[in-house]
Amino acid sequence: MNAVQYDKKLRLQLFIMLCCSAIFVNIFGDYFTRFLLSEIIILSLFAMSLDFLAGRGGMISLGHAMFLGIGAYSTTILFINFNIDPFLCSLLSVVIGLIIGYLIGFIIVKTDGIFFIMITLALGEMFHSWAFTNDSVGGSDGISGIERPILIGMDLNDPTFFAYYLLIWLILVYAFLAAVTDSPLGRNLDAIRQNSGRVLSLGGTVKLYKSASFGISAAIASLAGSLYAQLNGFVSPEISHWTLSGEGLIMIIVGGIGSLSGAILGAAIVHIIQHEFSKLVDWWMLLMGGGFILIVLFLKEGLWGLILKFKNYVMENK
Amino acid sequence: MIIFLDNISKSFGANKVLKDVSIKIKKRECIGIIGPNGAGKSTLFKIISGSLLQDRGFIIFNDSNIDKLSIDKRSRLGISQSYQSNSLFNEMTVKENLMIACSQSFKVGWQLFKSLDKRKNIINKSCAIAKEIGLTEYLNSKSENLSYGLQRQLEVGLAIANNPSLLFLDEPTAGMSNQETRSIVAMIKKLSSDYTIIIVEHDMDVIYSLAKKIYVLDSGNLIFQGTPKEVKQSKLVQDRYIGIKK
Repeated sequence: MNAVQYDKKLRLQLFIMLCCSAIFVNIFGDYFTRFLLSEIIILSLFAMSLDFLAGRGGMISLGHAMFLGIGAYSTTILFINFNIDPFLCSLLSVVIGLIIGYLIGFIIVKTDGIFFIMITLALGEMFHSWAFTNDSVGGSDGISGIERPILIGMDLNDPTFFAYYLLIWLILVYAFLAAVTDSPLGRNLDAIRQNSGRVLSLGGTVKLYKSASFGISAAIASLAGSLYAQLNGFVSPEISHWTLSGEGLIMIIVGGIGSLSGAILGAAIVHIIQHEFSKLVDWWMLLMGGGFILIVLFLKEGLWGLILKFKNYVMENK
Repeated sequence: MIIFLDNISKSFGANKVLKDVSIKIKKRECIGIIGPNGAGKSTLFKIISGSLLQDRGFIIFNDSNIDKLSIDKRSRLGISQSYQSNSLFNEMTVKENLMIACSQSFKVGWQLFKSLDKRKNIINKSCAIAKEIGLTEYLNSKSENLSYGLQRQLEVGLAIANNPSLLFLDEPTAGMSNQETRSIVAMIKKLSSDYTIIIVEHDMDVIYSLAKKIYVLDSGNLIFQGTPKEVKQSKLVQDRYIGIKK
């Protein structure tokens, strides 16, 4: 699987533009727009975790929503049962996601292609059915009662503050993933995606690199899950359903696999279409499906490819 | 002695591909392995590199038994190889290919921070290898855009990036034009003063010009070993291999 062309400067420029748009919406939007913005930022975190896994390591996970569930449930359980500060709950859920992700990764990264996809799908469904049937975590009804943090005197129950709080997380995760992408680990993941046998014959510990990237990706997805629980004050098994993993993959394909900023753009566009078009027409899924097919057929690098072409056109005609 | 293959045997079902093959190689020696198609050369290559396990026999490398070590562990011990068909990172430039290889030898491949592009030791080593293999002017070219001959040179470059004690080259001149062959032979000649090299090759002129000692395989048996001169004069080799080639 190919990732998009590597352009660090454009990646940062697009990210800054998206952040500015988010700040603009947060200042001038109403309550519901801010809620939508918060959902988009959380989905962006999830999409970036998938983008890192698929774009760098070439690992397509159809069960990654499991880590959203792990983050959301661990945050809720830690808060309700142990009365731990919600901010600390989020940090702990990242650690839990990292550990579980690394351990799962260590076992499953030996497989690739369709086998990897099916194993992740099976694991995700196992978690979903566990959450769905287990009364101690609320079963199909889920659990409510998780609160948002209060940080340096700011009450994050205010939707404006909460959106800014999420935006800070988005910036931190972006900076982290951008650094990892350019680091030896990130570049080795690129190499593994292109020719894993050669990395192995050069002495690279392919299994370690892939498990580490799976752990990192899982930790970010867990963070997204934790923030999702705090946004809604509620968690249900639906958060870990495989269809959400599928939606995450659609987001990164629309944005451009491996572009990082494209994942955020993809998350925003897909979620806005889902949210707004579903109000206008009943057949919005048909519309989204058609759009997705067009992107796959004609924009192999997603919207990122289109932006890159536009940039190259502008540079050539300067 | 750097490596000792002791009675290596391998079968695929009823087909015995290698039969008690024993080879000893000294440090800084350049040896050639020749034989007709199906002689067992590639199987021997895979067994030494670790991608295939032998049924019987031992491999002693630097006084340690490496039978149970995987390909990456063997590579970290110092056994490096270049493949018969190019096995590069095609989306990357020549420099990036070499940097990936060097990141393994510097054992930093798992590190999360500090961009690979800002690591001076890795950049310097990559540039030094590019110079050694004659690819300095192509450092920023994508490897998939290089000519076949230059890709073969890069293939060898990746193998030497690992500071190998033993360099295993599987048909380094396969599919090359005469000019490309001359260029890579000159390059391997230069490398042979620094590395122990095993070359598996069909082109006898290449083998004669590079190897100090030649091992001849036929139907899984080691039928002859000697200097290039002795191989040229051997009636057995003439009949079984070189004669066939003509």
